[in-house]
Amino acid sequence: MIDFVNVKKAYPNGTMALRGINLHIDDGEFVFIVGHSGAGKTTLMKLLLREERVSSGKLTVGDYDLSQMSNFKVPYYRRELGVVFQDFRLFPKKTVYENVAFAMEVVGTPRKKIARRVPAILNTVNLAGKQDSFPNEISGGEQQRVALARALANNPKVIIADEPTGNIDPKMSLEIMSLLVKINKLGKTVIVVTHEKNLVDYYKQRVVMLQDGLIVEDRVGGMFDEKI
Amino acid sequence: MKRYNIFYFIGQALSGLWRNGVMSFASIAVLMSCLVVIGGFSLLVETINLNLEQFGVLKEIVVFCDKDATEDEIVAIGDKIGKLDNIEKIERVTKEEGLEYMKSKYDVYADVTNELNPLPDRYDVTYIDNDKVSELDYQLRQIDGITKVNNRFELATTLENFKSGIMLVFVWFLIILAVVSIFIIINTIKLSVFSRRNEISIMRYVGATGWFISLPFVFEGIIIGLFASVCAYFIEWYIYSYIETLIMTDLQMITIMQFSSIGNIVLWGFIGIGVVTGIIGSCISLNKYLKQ
Repeated sequence: MIDFVNVKKAYPNGTMALRGINLHIDDGEFVFIVGHSGAGKTTLMKLLLREERVSSGKLTVGDYDLSQMSNFKVPYYRRELGVVFQDFRLFPKKTVYENVAFAMEVVGTPRKKIARRVPAILNTVNLAGKQDSFPNEISGGEQQRVALARALANNPKVIIADEPTGNIDPKMSLEIMSLLVKINKLGKTVIVVTHEKNLVDYYKQRVVMLQDGLIVEDRVGGMFDEKI
Repeated sequence: MKRYNIFYFIGQALSGLWRNGVMSFASIAVLMSCLVVIGGFSLLVETINLNLEQFGVLKEIVVFCDKDATEDEIVAIGDKIGKLDNIEKIERVTKEEGLEYMKSKYDVYADVTNELNPLPDRYDVTYIDNDKVSELDYQLRQIDGITKVNNRFELATTLENFKSGIMLVFVWFLIILAVVSIFIIINTIKLSVFSRRNEISIMRYVGATGWFISLPFVFEGIIIGLFASVCAYFIEWYIYSYIETLIMTDLQMITIMQFSSIGNIVLWGFIGIGVVTGIIGSCISLNKYLKQ
C-alpha cells in the first residue's frame, strides 16, 4: 500500500515540484502516472525511490514511512522495489544472466539460489535462451525485458517503471506493457510513469494525471486526456 | 543470514585497479617512495642509537677516587654516589681492572705491574636525565675522596640534538609524504568510483548497502598499500644491503645492524603503514557515498 498525504516537494532553488499530492495505491494495483513535462512525474518517482525527501506531508510505502526514514534504512526499503528505466541501465560488459544476477548478488543472495532463480525470471520475460548474450547483441525491447527481469530478481512487492517504452519501437512497447500487466497479475503493484497516450488508452488501467505539481485526474480505466 | 563472498569484493577491486592502471601505478609508486624514505630514516635513527650505545658516550660520568683512599673509603664513596638523585646505576672499576683494560688497549701499559699502577679506583655512573646532569656533576665533586669527575654530557647533548634534528626531519618527511600518498590514493579511488558510477547507481536502486558499494574501493586501497609496502621492502633491502657492505668494508668503526635481524619489523611496519594509508585514502574518497 502506497500513501501520499498532502505531499509537497520544493527544491532548494525554489521550484515547487509537487504542491500537495494525495494519492492512495492499494497492493496489487496497476497505475499509470501521466502528465506533460514539468508536471511533477519525475519528482514523484524520486520520492518513491527515496532519492529525494518530501518537503512536507507524509509518504508511506508498506511499512516504510519515507518522510521520516533514515538514510541507513534506504537500501532495505529499495529491496522492496523493482525499478525499470527508460535507458535500460544494463552493464554492457555483463551477459543477460549476469545483469539479472547482479541485482541478487548485491543483496547477498547465495550463488545456488541465483542459479535457480535467474533462468526462471528470464523465462517469465520471454528471454529464455538469451542468457549468454550481451546487451549489444539483443534488441532494445529485449534489453528492456532484461531490465524488467533485473527489477523482478529480488521478488519486490512494487515495480516502478519510468518511461519503460521511451526508447523502443511501438510493437516492442506493447510487449513490454503486456509483461508489466502479466507481472501485475502475479500480485505485484505496478506504477508506470509515461507520456504515451496510445498505451495508456489501450490498457485502460487506473490513470493518475499530474499537472503543475497537482493531481488533476485520477480515474480507474481512464484515458490520457491531452486537453489538460 | 546472508553471506557475501570476499572474493567478489577483491575481484571488483582488482578490476577497478586495472581500469585505472596509470593512477593505480602512480599511487603505488608514490606510497612506495614514501615507505622507502620512512624506512631509510628509521634505520638511520636506529643505527645512530646503536652506535651511541656502543660508544657509551651518552649518560655516563666517570668518577675517579683518591689514589690513596682505603677500601672502606672507596666503598663509602660508592654508597654516597648511590644515594644521589638522577642515578640509574653505578659500577665500580678497581685500579687492577682499569689496568687490565688499558693493557688490552694500549701496548705501552704492557709492562706496568700492579705495584706501579698509576690508575686510581673509579666508578662509572650512568644517569637518567641529561637535563639535570650539571647538578649531578656538582654533587659528585662535593663528595670527599673524589679527585676527578669526567663527564661527556656536552658531547651527549650535541649527539642528542643531532638525533632530535634527524627525528624532526623524519617526522616532517613522514607527514608530507603520508599526505601526498593519501591525496594520490584519494584521486585513484575517485577515478575508480567515477568509472563505475553507472554500476553504483544501479547497485543503489537494487538495495545495496553503503558498505557493499564501498568495500571494493576499500579493498583497492588495501591492495595499493600491500603492493607498495612489499615493493618498498625489497627496495629497502637492496639499498640497505649495499650500504651495509660499504660500511663493513670501508667504514668499520660504524656498527650497523644486519638487515636479516630487522627485516621482519621493516616488512610488517611497511605493510601496516601502507594498508592503513590505503584504507584512509579510500574512506576519505568514499565519504559522500557512505553518507547516502
